[in-house]
Formats: sequence, C-alpha cells, structure tokens
Amino acid sequence: MLVVYSGKAKDVTLLEDNNVRITFRDSISAFDGVKKEELAEKGKINCKTSVILFELLNRYGFATHYLSQLNETEMICRKVEIRPVEIVCRNVTAGSFCKRYGVDKGIEFETPIIEYFLKDDVLHDPLVAKEIAIQLGWVTKEESTLMESTTRAVNQVLSEIFKRISLKLVDFKLEFGRTDDGELIIADEISADTMRLWERETGEIKDKDRYRKDLGGVIEHYEDILRRLEEIESYPEIPIKSTAEITIELKKSVLDPAGEVTLRSLQRKGYQGVEEVRLGKSAKISFSLTPSPNLQAIIKEISDSILSNPLIENYTFDFSSGE
Amino acid sequence: MRIGITKFPGTNNELDVKRVLSGLGIKNELIYPDDVKKMDEMDALILAGGFSYGDYLRPGIIAAQTPVIENLHDYSNSERFVIGICNGFQMLCETSLLPGILSTNTSTKFISKWVNIKTGITSSPLLKGMENRILKIPIAHFEGRYYDKDEEITKLANKNQIAFKYCREDGEISLEENPNGSVENVAGIVNRKGNVLGMMPHPERASFQYLGSEDGKIIFENLIGELKC
Repeated sequence: MLVVYSGKAKDVTLLEDNNVRITFRDSISAFDGVKKEELAEKGKINCKTSVILFELLNRYGFATHYLSQLNETEMICRKVEIRPVEIVCRNVTAGSFCKRYGVDKGIEFETPIIEYFLKDDVLHDPLVAKEIAIQLGWVTKEESTLMESTTRAVNQVLSEIFKRISLKLVDFKLEFGRTDDGELIIADEISADTMRLWERETGEIKDKDRYRKDLGGVIEHYEDILRRLEEIESYPEIPIKSTAEITIELKKSVLDPAGEVTLRSLQRKGYQGVEEVRLGKSAKISFSLTPSPNLQAIIKEISDSILSNPLIENYTFDFSSGE
Repeated sequence: MRIGITKFPGTNNELDVKRVLSGLGIKNELIYPDDVKKMDEMDALILAGGFSYGDYLRPGIIAAQTPVIENLHDYSNSERFVIGICNGFQMLCETSLLPGILSTNTSTKFISKWVNIKTGITSSPLLKGMENRILKIPIAHFEGRYYDKDEEITKLANKNQIAFKYCREDGEISLEENPNGSVENVAGIVNRKGNVLGMMPHPERASFQYLGSEDGKIIFENLIGELKC
C-alpha cells in the first residue's frame, strides 16, 4: 500500500478499493512547522474527535469524506484531491486576524466572517482574496459558492453543538476535496487542531493555542473536549436553511422589447451614455436543506428545466446557507 | 367519440371551444390539471387558451409541470391528436412537444385583433385540404412572437412543419402583416408526425358567421373527420 501523503500530523494511505486510510500521529506543530513536538495520545484523541464531528456532520446532511473509523488512530475516508485553498470561518476575533488588522481579541462578529487561505507552508499560508483564488484557478466560482455556504452551515451546527457542552466556537478551518466524480466535499480533519474553542464561562483556551502560546496542558484540554463530546446523548434539531438566488437573462441574440422600451424612455429623459437595457428575472428559493453538491445539482436542474428556457435565456445562480 | 378540452386555473377559452365542438355534435369533456385518467379516455385533446396560472414565470411553463401536460408526451406518442391554441401552443413549446418558444410581442403590447393567416403545405391531417388557404381569424396575446434559431426555422420549413403564417388579405406574406414579430411570420406549427398542432390565432373564435368569420371551423371539422375514419 502506498502512502500518498505525509503531513505534519497525519499520513494518508491509498487502499485497494480506492478509499484512503488516514492515520493520526502524535505530532503537533505550529508556525508552519517551526515549533514541533510529539505528544503521547494526541493521535488517538484527534482521531476520535474527528470521527465524532464528521459523523455529526454526516448526520446533519453534509457531504464529507469520512466513511468509518478503522481503529484508535485511523479512519477510512473517500479519496479526494484536496483543493489548494482552505476556508476559515470566524465568529470572534482571535489569532492572526487580530495581528493582521490590529484589533482586540474577543470581538464578536454580527455575521461570521469567511476567509480564504492558500495552503502553502513556504509562503506561510497567506490570506487570499476570493477573486484572486478564482482567477488563478485555485477554486472555481461554483466551488467557492459551495465552500462558503457549506462552511457557514457547518458553523451553525458546530456552534450549537459546542454551546451544549459549554464551549464557544471562536473560529475553525475547513478543507475541501474533489472526489473522482468531481464532487466537492469536506475533507481533512476536524479537531482541536483545526479550531479555536473557549470555555463559555471563563474564556479559558481549550485548543491548539495552548501549544502555540506554551500554556501547557494541551492533551488534558483536548481530552476534556473529547470527553464532553462523547457525553452528548442526543443531538438537537438544527434548522439549516439554504437560499438560492437565480438570475435569468435573455440571451444577447434575443430581442428584448421591454428592455428597448425602457432604454428609449431613459434616453428621452436625457440620461447621457445609456446604451442598452436588458430586463431579466430573478428568483429566490429557500430550502430546508444542507448545502451540498446534491443541492447545487437540484438548483441547476430547477433553473434549467423550469426557471429558464435555454432557447432564449441564460441564468446564473448563487447560494448561501447558515444563520 | 369524445374530445377533451384542458382547463387550468386561468384558462378562459375552454367554453368557446366547447361551444364549437357541441355545435358540431361532438361529445366533449373538460380536463383539469390532474385528470390524467380521464384524459387518456379522450380521442383527442384541445389545449384551450387563456392565462394558465397567471402566465407567471413564462406563459405555459407552470401548466407544463402538471400531470396532464406531462402525460401529453405519452398521449401524443399514441398517435392521438393534440391542438394547442394560444396559451395551449405556449404549453406545447414549454413542454418541448413543439420546438421554439413564444416570446413577448415586439410592440410590448397585448394585441387583440383580426388577422389573416395562410395555411402551409404540411402532411398534417388536421390541415388536410387547406393548403395555401387564407383564414380570417382573431389573435389575442401578449407573448405570441414565435422564436427559434434560424437553422431550426429552416428545418421546420424543410420538413413542412410550418402550419400558418401571418399574411395580407390576398395571401402575401409581408413583414407589415406580422402582428407580433414572429420569425418568418410563423403563426402555427405542427410536429413531425403531424398529430400535434400549435397555433396562436383562435379558430374557436372564428367558427360562427355571427362572430365575423367561420374560417377556423375547418380545423375542428378536419379533426372530427380524422377521428371518424
């Protein structure tokens, strides 16, 4: 069997059935690998935490790479090609964000913030603007729409779950991968290594910042998070809403009499430089569904077969999720 | 023999069609959006005009999602006749039983007036004996501008599927007589097999002399003639 990838804390092995085995090692590192260490039990704890959180996301209808747990430190996942950008979602200011913008830690955002980072250790994983990521081909526009809406909905679910165990989800990152079928799904791991969690009451740090800031007790706190997650008896109903906004336009080659009439009216009014008016339609559809490649396919089907007539119209769509 | 007339919320021509059929001594039934079973018992179907579902989104598209129109594909495959008038024609295009689409009139006005149309040369039994005949017949629509890509229009013409074109009283096909901007003055078309006819003008409103014309009646007579033989 072939180890296809060996990262800072995990190894990925390709299996004969074209799935992969992900092995969590006891390594921990920070600052792009400058600081690193072995912490006994860490692989086991992060594996179990990831398993619980991926099973949770699967239960709430998200498309993830997770299939099953193999043993204490390994899980079986679908093989994906990891996208070169990762998505960070922030509910509260902390970490590099505070440094970058010179703001205090602990400011709550009214709407969670989404950021794109290029996964590149040599460049120290720089923040990238979405437009740049799209134009440089790191993600497609369609992928970015799905990644953002998925991340927001994951934030809604995880925030609610952690709230139940008295933890505050400050921020987290998600990685996405493309399957052989071209589906974009949540990949990598979800653990105290990939998020910030604070004790709701006291603000005590429970996550990897303990290691970054030499606060000590890394394993104890990771273990505590896991223990609390394991104690959850029943999962709440979390109403996840996704909204699609579809814009329908007449094709360039098709005459738009209503647009022409409007154009003449504008010109008559004396508006200089008005050259063309095209009138279209827009539709906003709300779903009680988790964002996923499947939902994206449904929106396309609705747009293709009912909302627009491909003979005379084109459409574009966008969709969003989460609170 | 029984002929079905579809009635969707917003359809308003079904009684006009009914009156013509009853006048010709033909039993007929109204077919509502879910009446698939009853529809299958009918020997032919007429999709009456109006404003089904308020013409929301695009004329005919909402009706095209109903069981009756979805069943129309199987229905027409069984060689039975279907005539779509005005909104019915729009439904036939939206459900892809006929090619093209009916788009907003170039004038952006609702047009309700008498026009002349010239019958094409087709293989459709519904237009038997009508080749090159000029009919005086009313139109009443906002979205009646027939549109399809040039190559598709050429194909329609080559396969003798153009049923009617707007024309002058003397039969001359001229742009001046094109009321809505339809490509090539197209007012109605048939499918390849000739058993599905879609037309924007209203033959049921030109089937009694006291209405000003009975030129439209021949289409219904042809239909009945076909069903009898």
